[in-house]
Amino acid sequence: MKGFIGEFEELVLLTICNLNKEAYGVAILNDIIKRANRKLSIGALHSTLTRLEEKGYITSYLGEPTNERGGRRKRYFEPTQRAIQELNNMKALRDELWAGSKVNLSL
Amino acid sequence: MKSGNPHPPKLADRLLQWFAGSAYMEDLLGDLEETYAIDHSEKGKRKADIIYWQHVLSIILSYALKRRKKNASYSSYFSDHSLSMFNNYFKIAFRNFSKHKFFTIINIIGLALGMSISLLVLSITLAIYKSDDLQANKDRIFQINTSIVDEELNTKTYGSTFHAVGNHLEGKYPFVESVVKIKNGFNPEIKHQGGEMKFHGYFADPSFFEVFSFQMISGNPQTALLKPFSIVLTQSVANKLFRDQDPIGQVVETKMGSFSVTGVMEDLKQTHFLFDVLASYQSFDQLETITNLKTDWNNYRDNYVYALLKPETTQSTLTESLVQTSGIASEFNPNQTIKLESVALKDVVPRWNISNALGIGWDQPSLILFMSIGLLILLPAVFNYTNLSIARALKRGKEIGIRKVVGAEKRQIKAQFIIETVLLSVISLVASFFIFIQLQREFLDLLRASAVMDTSIDFALIGTFILFAVIIGLLAGLFPATYFSRLNPIHTLKGGSLNQSASISHIKKGLFVFQFFMSLVFIIGVSTLTKEYAYVLNKNHGFESENTLAIPFIDIDKQLAINELGSHPDVKSITTTSSLPGIPLSTMTGVTPNEIDTFSVKQIFIGDDFIENLNMKLAWGDSKDLNRSTKNQELVVVNETFMKSARVFNFRQDSLTFTSEDGSRCKIVGILKDFNFEPLDQMIQPLVLRHSISESKYALLTIHSSEIKKTIDELNAIWAGIDQTAHFESSFLDDEIEQAYHFLAVQIKFFSFLSAFAISISCLGLLGMVSYTTENRTKEIAIRKIMGASNKNLYYLLTNDFVKLILISSAIAIPFSYFFYDKLFLYFVLRYGNGLGVIEVLVSIVFLFLVGFASIFWQTSKVAKTNPARNLRYE
Repeated sequence: MKGFIGEFEELVLLTICNLNKEAYGVAILNDIIKRANRKLSIGALHSTLTRLEEKGYITSYLGEPTNERGGRRKRYFEPTQRAIQELNNMKALRDELWAGSKVNLSL
Repeated sequence: MKSGNPHPPKLADRLLQWFAGSAYMEDLLGDLEETYAIDHSEKGKRKADIIYWQHVLSIILSYALKRRKKNASYSSYFSDHSLSMFNNYFKIAFRNFSKHKFFTIINIIGLALGMSISLLVLSITLAIYKSDDLQANKDRIFQINTSIVDEELNTKTYGSTFHAVGNHLEGKYPFVESVVKIKNGFNPEIKHQGGEMKFHGYFADPSFFEVFSFQMISGNPQTALLKPFSIVLTQSVANKLFRDQDPIGQVVETKMGSFSVTGVMEDLKQTHFLFDVLASYQSFDQLETITNLKTDWNNYRDNYVYALLKPETTQSTLTESLVQTSGIASEFNPNQTIKLESVALKDVVPRWNISNALGIGWDQPSLILFMSIGLLILLPAVFNYTNLSIARALKRGKEIGIRKVVGAEKRQIKAQFIIETVLLSVISLVASFFIFIQLQREFLDLLRASAVMDTSIDFALIGTFILFAVIIGLLAGLFPATYFSRLNPIHTLKGGSLNQSASISHIKKGLFVFQFFMSLVFIIGVSTLTKEYAYVLNKNHGFESENTLAIPFIDIDKQLAINELGSHPDVKSITTTSSLPGIPLSTMTGVTPNEIDTFSVKQIFIGDDFIENLNMKLAWGDSKDLNRSTKNQELVVVNETFMKSARVFNFRQDSLTFTSEDGSRCKIVGILKDFNFEPLDQMIQPLVLRHSISESKYALLTIHSSEIKKTIDELNAIWAGIDQTAHFESSFLDDEIEQAYHFLAVQIKFFSFLSAFAISISCLGLLGMVSYTTENRTKEIAIRKIMGASNKNLYYLLTNDFVKLILISSAIAIPFSYFFYDKLFLYFVLRYGNGLGVIEVLVSIVFLFLVGFASIFWQTSKVAKTNPARNLRYE
């Protein structure tokens, strides 16, 4: 499978995990804007989502029609097993690096 | 929050939708609207709108949308014409070409023939626009033109101007670096080996070689044109006159005086100038003593001024100074409004409308005329392609049906057909190029200006040709491509008959009629010109031209020559003349019938018995006593037109005397019946025949001999006995006259080319159409045959439609040709011709019918003769 998970991709993936069943476009967008204090456009977010889907880290499905979106359906995202495995690998690597740090990392 | 949702900016929505096309957008649009609703309630409409726009743009540019668009297309080559698809188009095109060889060959030949004339036009147009590109100072040189508004408020622009303008500019305005004054009309007849050679040239200022970058081969460019009576020759003239000798310092003898050669320059190339020789401007000043052109503000004809500006001077500076100068010119010419203008050297040719232009006489109208002739030949070939392609719809319908079912879009079908056509037209271009090279060689020979035009084949020309072929391909392919792309796949796959292919639609009928109309007009043109040519050669011009031998003599004892040559037993009689009858006369002179008015006439100096020997008819009087002129009164013969012109000027009929330009008093003793002393395209002009052996240039011998060659050899021997150095030449008057009608022969040739092309193209079109209609009716014919139709019936059935079309086109072409040739064309080409004959028209029609029928018959007999049983199995 091609590519590692990039920093922003990791952020999006973890946000999806946080939102669980409510992980759709606007929710992810607002969550990232609030938590990470970043400026983010819908286009950029969906590009990343598309890439993650291509790499096999997330799957998506369409929800029920909703009123507030002009009757349009939401697309919900879920992490795959592969994504959970990869997130774990990344965390393990980081923990190891944190533990082994010779510099005092505590603030 | 208000009830109902706020509406996001519509334009942004539309833009997104247009851009997204068929991509899946529901979730994205939902997300957009949701964020908009949130922003709208939190930040207000304006801010929300701006954010919405930002989001829309981010989506448009995003990878997400690109990916979705790609997914939306069900075939992998939808979004971008991938290289492999183009490959496929080419492959299919070539397969089709080789599968339908007949169709391919017809179209390639047709397009090649059609394009070749256009290529010729293109190459010449390009050459004309390229003129003076090589001049080093081309951006700084300007030609001064004169616009004159006459009393009726007509503006006429002349390429020429007053020479005083040149001196004025040079003296008064410091930004003018240099001025070249050129006087047209230096046409010396240079004596050469006992004969005369005519050349054409200008009088030019010494600065000529400084301003224009023509290379001197020998001689000093700075001083070559400084002194009076110095002459600069082009290389080819120098070779003609002096062969291996060094021309510098040689003296050439002309009627205007002796000129010494001070320089030899390279032959002209890529310029609007057209000359063989240049004489110094000083020579003109010495020859013409009455008006001093340098200070003259009245004569603008044939006088040209070129100004070289100092670097970094703009044309507007020159224009301003010319406005001031115009004021001076107007003072000298109070009845006219005169405006001086400047034209950059690059724009001197071609101009839209210019009188009295110097050098090659190409203007834009004649280029456009030339181009339209090219297109007139090309368009039928394009029509043919369109016709034949659509006629094949039945065959290709299935292919297109399958392509569509598999998922081809309209534009892909279009692209395929256009690529195919462009390919075909590029192949035709290659064939056409060979025809073009042949044509160009022929055509340039006919063109006076070809010597100075750069018609070599370079990259720019090839590039233009290829571009042209591609455009023609697009043009020819557009209609079939649109037609094919609209075909309904279900219909074609079911094998439903495409009604258009079996019978011929009205448009196609119209095109056919047009093609045959044009072919017929061209054929009639050829036969008419051929007839006129035969007519002028065989016509009794009003004088005897058979058995008359013309011997040019100038540097020889004329009286002795006449006596000696006349004593040869085969020579029945001998006379002399200053110019040969039946050949254009250059000398014009003025006569004054009433001591006040002068009108111009043509004059010839003749010897004894001229009128009798050439069997010319007198309307009145006697011509025997011409040699009895006295010092006070010269006896002359005139023609009837002379008398008519003279009558206008209060001519004293009783005395019949007038004064000629050289001052001698002339008395008319005989009046010749009007006849064409010059070629038949010239107006009959007033003519004076004067007696003078010393002015004569030709001895005219009437010869009755069984062995012409032997007689001529003997005459040569006699000649050599009189004068060793003079060169003997002889030719029959008939041949000389035939040469004078060379222009007709040239026109016949040109017309034959055009008509051959037009006929071939229309016949190819006919052939193609007949073959496809018969092919489409194979089954029908087979059934008819089985039911008992005879071959005759079948031929009638198949040819019926086409014969009607040919008949219609001839019905239009005959009256048109009659009007065009008889009333317009021949009037200009040959004023005294004998018009269009019935036989010529009939022959032309029969010819066209024969060619047309032959092509119809060839195709129909193929179908009619085959075994019907096989034909029924065919489809």
